Amino acid sequence: MEESEKKCQEELVALKKEFEEFIYIVSHDIKSPMRAISNITTWIEEDLGSVVNQDVLTNLGLLKNRVKRLENMMNALLELSRVERTELEFYELNIPKMISNCIALFDDTAHVDFQFKADLQQENCFTLGLKMQKVIMSVLDNAIRFNHEENRLVFVDVIENENDYEIKISDNGPGIPEQAIHKIFSIFYTVNSKDELDTTGAGLAISCKIMKLVGGKLEYAPGLSSGSVFTINWPKIITLKN
Amino acid sequence: MNQKLVNILLVEDDEVDVMNVKRAFSKNNIMNPLFVAGNGVEALEMLDDKIIPLPKIIILDINMPKMNGIEFLKIMRENEKLKNISVFVMTTSNEDSDKINAYNLNVAGYILKPLSFEKFLTSVATLKNFWQLCEM
Amino acid sequence: MRNANILLVDNRKTTIENIKKSFLEIDSKHTLFSAENENEAWLMLDGTHKINPVPKIVLIDVNRTKKKGINLLNAIRNHPDLKSILIFVITDSDEDINKAAALNLNIAGYIPLSFESHKLNYFLSVLNDYWNIIEFSSQK
Repeated sequence: MEESEKKCQEELVALKKEFEEFIYIVSHDIKSPMRAISNITTWIEEDLGSVVNQDVLTNLGLLKNRVKRLENMMNALLELSRVERTELEFYELNIPKMISNCIALFDDTAHVDFQFKADLQQENCFTLGLKMQKVIMSVLDNAIRFNHEENRLVFVDVIENENDYEIKISDNGPGIPEQAIHKIFSIFYTVNSKDELDTTGAGLAISCKIMKLVGGKLEYAPGLSSGSVFTINWPKIITLKN
Repeated sequence: MNQKLVNILLVEDDEVDVMNVKRAFSKNNIMNPLFVAGNGVEALEMLDDKIIPLPKIIILDINMPKMNGIEFLKIMRENEKLKNISVFVMTTSNEDSDKINAYNLNVAGYILKPLSFEKFLTSVATLKNFWQLCEM
Repeated sequence: MRNANILLVDNRKTTIENIKKSFLEIDSKHTLFSAENENEAWLMLDGTHKINPVPKIVLIDVNRTKKKGINLLNAIRNHPDLKSILIFVITDSDEDINKAAALNLNIAGYIPLSFESHKLNYFLSVLNDYWNIIEFSSQK
């Protein structure tokens, strides 16, 4: 019994490694012809000069825009493949300070009000700082990006449980339609058409993968009256399965 | 300043990337004679057999068939005639290992190929200014 | 690319002051350290005053101190942790006595320039732009 279990485990590890390498190679090698398409489009635009059919220019613009999307998707895939391979440094982190810093990165964004509350006994934690930051930034970004209110509000509440930190990020945005809820963590899924919003839809997928890696949780719930509430449960102690 | 323009050898297997460099050079008025080799083996033949005049600058891609950039660089640095040529790596590889290997073989710079042509133009403009500073 | 440590080696106080001032004026994001002679430079690279992280760039005029500059470059090239440092020779000397020796050590650039402040800004901004477009490996 133990023998076959061990074999299964080994196969699983090997398969995971193969998957990571596959994503990496695919997204890495595809970048070359993509760059070629983008560059050649620019050259055609330049060579056409000023006297040219407006439709042609519009189409070339669309072409470059789609290639840019391809690039974003490739970068997202690359990032996804790297979750378990890079930035795995543990260091001492002051949680409220880190979250404040994340919020400060949105200082330049207009019409957003952040309300941050942290009620912690143990403010410092020895953890995968960069990964935690990545998840918080992704969720914060989503809270703002899809919110079209005049005055956008984002609430960040942090409490401490026995074994983890619970970070609730809520917003007064449109919330997520019921039929889309189970899809939002899939890579590249966006609720609205990508023509409307220039985003790859990978933030939550990558965050989800990070949460799996650290043994935590990332969950969505609709807000009381409207909006979204994302809850991150970040474990105090992380054991990486290697 | 009356400077003689040095020869530049581009070692690059992707034909669109070669066009990229040629176009960016022309837009930046870089008039240096430009030679092209499709990979490390071809480059060594061109250099060893004196098929082309000796370049002072080599622009080197890393991922190429037959012989990649790092292997070519190793051989070049062990060749008395070639070891002092200035090498500028131009590649899509963002791998630390490639950067470390390249700098250990004393390249003068390691440049990532940007996606947009506009960004590439700016990088080449900066390169041109730098070369002029070194009187190349 | 990112903020790199740069070590300037020059035995003239005015030159060092001028270059430091220039760095501020061109708003360079890199950190400049200075050494007044080759011995001090070595201590900052591999001795008691070791700069952390190790500088990615060294600026030196090899024509000013007879053989000492070249000897320093030789030592850098022979040191396992320092051999990949980018070395730029900046010189205002008309006689480039050590040019050939320097070129033999795979320097990144041999740059004749004037240390007068108004011209210095241009030269250093070109160098700074160049340092901004090249990649460095992750800090050691």
